[in-house]
Parts: sequence; C-alpha cells; structure tokens
Amino acid sequence: MNDSAATMNQGPVATPQATTSAGAPKLTVRDLHFYYNGFHALKGINMDIPEKKVTAIIGPSGCGKSTLLRIFNRIYAIYPKLEAKGEIVLDGENILDPRYSMNRLRSKVGMVFQKPVPFPMTIFENVAYGIRHHEKLSKTDMTIRVEQALRSAALWDEVKDKLKQNALGLSGGQQQRLCIARAIALKPEVLLLDEPTSALDPIATGRIEQLVEELKNEFTIVIVTHNMQQAARCSDQTAFMYMGELIEFSGTEKIFTKPGKKQTEDYITGRFG
Amino acid sequence: MSAQPGTIASSAIIQEQRSRRDALDERLFRWLLMGCALLVLASLLGAAGATLWGGREAFAKFGWHFLVSTAWDPGNDVYGALVPVYGTIATSLIALLIAVPVSFGIALYLSEVAPPWLRTPVSSAIELLAGIPSIIYGMWGLFIFAPFFADHIKPWLTNNLGDKPDDGKLSWVVQHVPFIGKLFGSDYPFGASILVAGIVLAIMIIPFISSVMREVFQTVPTRLKESAYALGSSTWEVSWDIVLPYTRSAVIGGIFLGLGRALGETMAVTFVLGNAMTLSASLLDPGTSIAATIANQFSEASGLQKSSLMALAFLLFVVTFIVLLIARLMLRQLKLKEGR
Amino acid sequence: MSSLYLRRRITNWVAMGLSMLATLVGLAFLAWILWETLRQGIAALNFSLFTKITANGADGGLANAMVGSLVINFIGIAVATPIGVLAGAWLAEYANRTKLGESIRFLNDILLSAPSIVIGLFVYTIVVLPTTALTHGSTTFSGFAGGIALALIALPVIVRTTDEMLRLVPSTLREAALSLGVPQWKLTVQILIRAARSGIITGVLLALARISGETAPLLFTAFGNNYMAINPIDKMSSLPQIIYQYANDPGDAMHSMAWAGAFVVTMFVLLLSLASRLVLSRNKVSHE
Repeated sequence: MNDSAATMNQGPVATPQATTSAGAPKLTVRDLHFYYNGFHALKGINMDIPEKKVTAIIGPSGCGKSTLLRIFNRIYAIYPKLEAKGEIVLDGENILDPRYSMNRLRSKVGMVFQKPVPFPMTIFENVAYGIRHHEKLSKTDMTIRVEQALRSAALWDEVKDKLKQNALGLSGGQQQRLCIARAIALKPEVLLLDEPTSALDPIATGRIEQLVEELKNEFTIVIVTHNMQQAARCSDQTAFMYMGELIEFSGTEKIFTKPGKKQTEDYITGRFG
Repeated sequence: MSAQPGTIASSAIIQEQRSRRDALDERLFRWLLMGCALLVLASLLGAAGATLWGGREAFAKFGWHFLVSTAWDPGNDVYGALVPVYGTIATSLIALLIAVPVSFGIALYLSEVAPPWLRTPVSSAIELLAGIPSIIYGMWGLFIFAPFFADHIKPWLTNNLGDKPDDGKLSWVVQHVPFIGKLFGSDYPFGASILVAGIVLAIMIIPFISSVMREVFQTVPTRLKESAYALGSSTWEVSWDIVLPYTRSAVIGGIFLGLGRALGETMAVTFVLGNAMTLSASLLDPGTSIAATIANQFSEASGLQKSSLMALAFLLFVVTFIVLLIARLMLRQLKLKEGR
Repeated sequence: MSSLYLRRRITNWVAMGLSMLATLVGLAFLAWILWETLRQGIAALNFSLFTKITANGADGGLANAMVGSLVINFIGIAVATPIGVLAGAWLAEYANRTKLGESIRFLNDILLSAPSIVIGLFVYTIVVLPTTALTHGSTTFSGFAGGIALALIALPVIVRTTDEMLRLVPSTLREAALSLGVPQWKLTVQILIRAARSGIITGVLLALARISGETAPLLFTAFGNNYMAINPIDKMSSLPQIIYQYANDPGDAMHSMAWAGAFVVTMFVLLLSLASRLVLSRNKVSHE
C-alpha cells in the first residue's frame, strides 16, 4: 500500500493541475503512522503538499482525515496516549522531531476548527491575542496588523465599528471568519482548515469558500471536508483517504472525473457504505 | 511575506528564547497550581494531626479507657468520651431514621409523581432551604420546637410509652414491649433531649439527602423506566423495582453523606441537647454530643480537659472521615455506571 | 386476577400518597422554620441594631457583629478564592485523570462536608496557639484567625465549582488557543478561567453563603468582642457568634436580638443563593 501511495504522489505530474503546482512541496509526509491507545489510525501515509495551493482531504468519517490534519501542527500532542511515527517535513525540517519548537511550528502552521471558537474577549483582542504571544508590536502596529488580518478574512467591513464588542455576539459565519483572521494574523505559511463550514449555513459557507480561494495566493492551505462538492469547488489537489490509508492523491479535476481507483470512484459516486 | 535570511535567523533565536522562557513559566505555574491543590490535602491531614496532637495528653493518660468511660469530671480531672460519643451516634441515628424515609418520599414525589410544572420550583425551594445556616435550625429548635415538644408531644410519649408516667401506672405497651419504657421514660421537665436534637437534625438534613436522591433518581435512563411502564407496572413498582435497585449504591452514598453532616453538626444540636454530661437510656433525657461538648467547654477549658476535648474532636474527625469516604465511594459507583 | 390487580393499585395509591405526604411534611417544617425566623426577626428589627454595639447589652445593637461578620467573611473569601480557583484549575487542566488529581478531587469532596468545629480547632492550633506563644501567653484570638477558618470551609466549595466549570469548557477552545502557540498557563489564566467566569463566580457566591452562617469554627478563632473592632488582628465578633451567645442568654431582650441577627443572616444567605443561581442561568444563555 505504501508503495502504491508513493507512486500516486506522482499523480499530479500527469494532470493539468500538476504543472501549475510544480516546484518544491511545502509539506512532505513520509511514512506517517499514528496510534491512539494502541489503535493504528494512520497507516503509512506519504504525500507532498504543494505550496500556495489548496489541498483537500476527503473520505468517510473515521478514515483519519482529521487525524492527519491534526498532526500537521502537532495539536494532537495535548492529549495523552497519542503517538505519531514517521516524518513531516516543512521547509526541510522534520516537525515531528521533539526538538522542533512548538512555538515555531504554531507560528508557521495555523489552524481553524470545525466549530467557530472565539475567545471570551473582544473582537479586536481575539485577533491581537495570538500575535502578542509571538511578537512585541506597538499599539499602532498592532491596530494595523489586526485590521489587515480582518480584511484578509473579509470581515473588516462588518466589524470595524464594533471591535470593542464581545466576539460571542457575532453570527456563526462571522465567528468562523474571525477565527480565520486570528489564525492568519500570525502570518503563518500553512493554514489548516478542519471542516471549517460544517457548522455553518449555505450562505456563510459560500463566503468561506470564496475566502479560501483568495487566501491561497498567500498561504498553503490544507482543508479537510466531508463535503465532496466543496472539495471539488475550491481545491487544486484532492486526497482520498479510507480506513487510515491514503488511497489516491492527485489533481482535483482528475479525482472527480477519472478517479484512478475503484474505492475512490465508489466514494465519489456515493456507492460507499 | 518572504522574509530576509537575516530576519529568519534572528526570529529563530527569539523563538528559541521564548520557548525556553515559556517552559520555565509553565513549570512555575504548574508548581503553583499543584501547591494550591495540595492545600486541600494539607487541611485534612492538618485537621487530623492538630487534634491528635492536641489530644495526646488525654490519649496518653486514659488510653483505650477514654473511649468507654462515662466520666466527665473537671473537678477530679477525669474524662471519658462515652457520653458525648453516645449522644452523637444516638442523635444522628434518630435523624437518619426520620430523614431517610421522608427524603425518599420527597425525591420520589419530585422525580416520578409530581406534575412537571411543580418539580422545578419545589426542588429549587428545597435546595435553597438546604443552604439555611444550621444555627437557624438550632434557634428554631431551642425557642419554638423544644417548648412545643415539651408541651404537646413529650407528655403523651412519657405517659404511653415511658416507664415514668405522671400517674405512676405503666401502659400496656410498656408492660409488654421490652426496653421501650426505658427509651421514653423521663421526669426531666424540659424539651431539650436526645430525641429533639435528633428531630432537629433530621429536618436539617432532609433537604440535603432528598436533593442528592432526586439527582440520583434522575440518572436512571428513561428507556429503562419506559419499558417497565410498557409492561403495565405502576409508578410505585417502577420506583421500587427499577429506580431504587439501579441507584442503590448512590442512594446509600447520599444517606451516608447526610450521616456525615449529622455527626459533625454543632449548632443545630448544641441548643437542644440540654448539655448534660450523664448517660441516660432515655431519649427524652438531655445529653450531649461531641461537637456540643467542644462548643460549650473549649473556651474555658485548660490542661487535661482541653486535651480531652481535642481528643474528642479527633475521634469525631476520624469517624466522619470514614463515613464520608464510604459515602463518596458509593456515589462514585453511579458515576462509573453512567460513564459506561 | 382482579384481586391481584386491586392490591397492586392500592399499594400504588398508598405509596404515592405517602410520598406526597412526605413532601408536604418536609416542606411544612422548613416553612415553619423560615416563617418563625421572618416573624420573630422582623418583629425584633429596629434602627439601633445597626448603630449600637453589643457592649450595651439589652439596650445595644449588633453593629460590631455585623462589621465583624463582613470583615471575617471578606478575609475568608479573599484567601479561599485565589487558592480555590488555582487548585480547581489544576484538577481540571493539569491533573485530570491522573491518580493524584483524582485523589485530591475525592478528598476535596470529603473536606466539603468535614465537621466545621474540627476545622475551627485546627485553625486554633495553627494560628491562635503560635501567636499566643509569640505574645507570651495572652491568648490571641483574632478576626484573621476566624477568616482563615472560614477560608478552609469556603475552599472546597470553590475548588469543586471551578473544577466542574472548567471541565465544561469545550476542548475546542483549548485547541484553538494552543494552535496559536499560546502556552498552556496563559490559556488557563486568560482564556479558560475567563470562559468559565460566571460559573466560578457562582461558586464563590455559594461559598460566601456557606461561610456567612458558620458559627462553630469562629468560637475558638475570632472568639467575639463586645466592642467595635475593624482591625483583624483583634478579637472580633460576628453575627452567628452573637446569635449563639444571645440565644444562650436567659434574657428575653437578648433573644429577640438573636432573632434579629438570625433574620439578617438568613436573608443574606438566601439572597446570595438566589444571586448565584441568577449568575449561572445567565451564563448558560451567553455561552450557547
């Protein structure tokens, strides 16, 4: 399986998208295994995630797609009895190496979660809070930085008059864009999105997808989604996972039009159990 | 977005320093928090240690005899724990005898019988009343209930169940049931007594036990009850055959929690016990409890008397600790069941 | 068959009747206690209760006891709140599911119902006795010692609510903050405790309600003082202690002052319990 997954990594080269994604991969996953409480949750994942593209990971629930995403910034490490083996190389360094500083990793890899989780503070503070931990900025610089982040997250116009209000007062979609602003305010290089629209209505979802499209000019984006249309709409590369294994990984158009594997085809056409 | 090589290097150094400082802060914070949590342990150990240390003279002087002696004689400096220990246990048992069935009834009513609109207000009211300070119960006992008891209940009890009736004629019950005459015989004219203290304690712990029981009953899965109702069981049958067996250990835990409260209670009983350092078989005679003895005598005591009071406190602490330990272990079993 | 049926129905009626009766009787007694406190207390209320001190005896008031209660309760809460919140945070955030954490959580529940008079003797031993030794033998009861005793009673209440409230905070909030590189201690202090704020305030209010009626632990720590004392290194009177003293007094005038004190304490406690419920119910709305 490992071998076939590795060969599939070359898939992009053969697809139209692959040519656009030429260049060094931003993140390289090598023979990644993951265990919790002894359960083998990820079995030898190999993949190259291209820079400044949107990579979607799809698959049925329990396939390990969220687990994989949560290894990219080692957020899993806050829980006991979880173990990752293998390598994830970011800009030439293995982030799974315990010597890789957590601070550095988390300033380089931002994450947005399924449900919007604003901190119990003002809108401004929500964005400024993370920055403060990594950089000492003057008050004016901070204001500029927060505004930039909110603008990039397409939220500025809606909140510019109520920056001092509690973030819990925003709508669900606004809260999620605030969380995106909070993550990109740290100027990360990689942005991980874990089913970012699963708690939102269709209109809010549309805005987030549009935002993802804009953000890929600046960031390398990895999005986990259970919504295949979403993957098809806004990603350049798509990975299909099943039962802890990477079944197929190639250009989104190829995955959705001529999948290389029977399992992928079954899943995409809805014939999956 | 693209950074100069120089800034990358310097930012890496800054981040390195930051990481080290974070790790140090984190460790200090962890120690601070753990220290605070360990204070809980320290308080318990300290309370046991301080009373044991304070009571060392009494324990050394009287040994095991301290536990079985009824003497409490500051004049001759001889002390024994039996009278207050008996009073503590007797009042608490009377309190449980009354409070357990009443609390069970209340919990049953509020979780199975009462119309839904009535449940929340009545349970909130009872929980609110559980917060009334115990000294208020004591005052009510002293000024209202003890006189009422002396005037209306005690004469009936002594005449019909006691061996010292006003007219000297023993009732049929006293002649035919052993011990009962001793339990209810009294020529003490006031209300303050072991029985009244037990009743006041019962009223004090009823809100407490019934709240615990009600909460516990609510953990019974609805499907379990519904399947029994579907078989045609009555409310009582569901309660007795399904709800109670399912929650048995937690119900016992709740009762022990109430017992722990009753054993250690000071203010609700001190006023209504009559403060007599003598042992009497009659529940209508005055007595004392460990907590009441300490409250009454500690400020003016010195030397061996003070040490004996500390020794009493140690006994009380150890006994309540064990009772509460059992209570919590029993209550935890239900939590484990829920978690499954 | 039908006789079995009838017996079952009668058993059910009797049981249901008894449970309703138990509720009525229980509520009746509690109502009786509350009613007497209100009736006797309101009858005894007058202006001089709040202006005169207990040194004036039957012609006096409870002013020094009220001030003493405020000072001692304040010390109790001021000492117990930071310690209790940090200890609760340790249980919920650092020691959850560890052996030591589980044991302390368990022991905290026991401390919650430990006999308060023993706590009083403990504080007598660790605070009053050593300071007495320092002052060469004059017994140093103090408002401060009383405050420490009450703090030990408030502590487990605050530890428990903080622990429970923090465990209710969704773990996604922790993940979100950690994924920004915020260290765990900042996350705990600046985000989690803030998110659980109203729950923690509820715990503090409940603890205050609990300690403001406590009498037994004050008898051998704050002791009592018939004059106005504001400095906590002095002996200090408190409402529960004066109620205890006056109720034991043979004079009727003293009894009615004891009722007045009981009324004030009961109202304070009931209002605090109500307030804590209010804070909690508000919290539920705002966090959804």
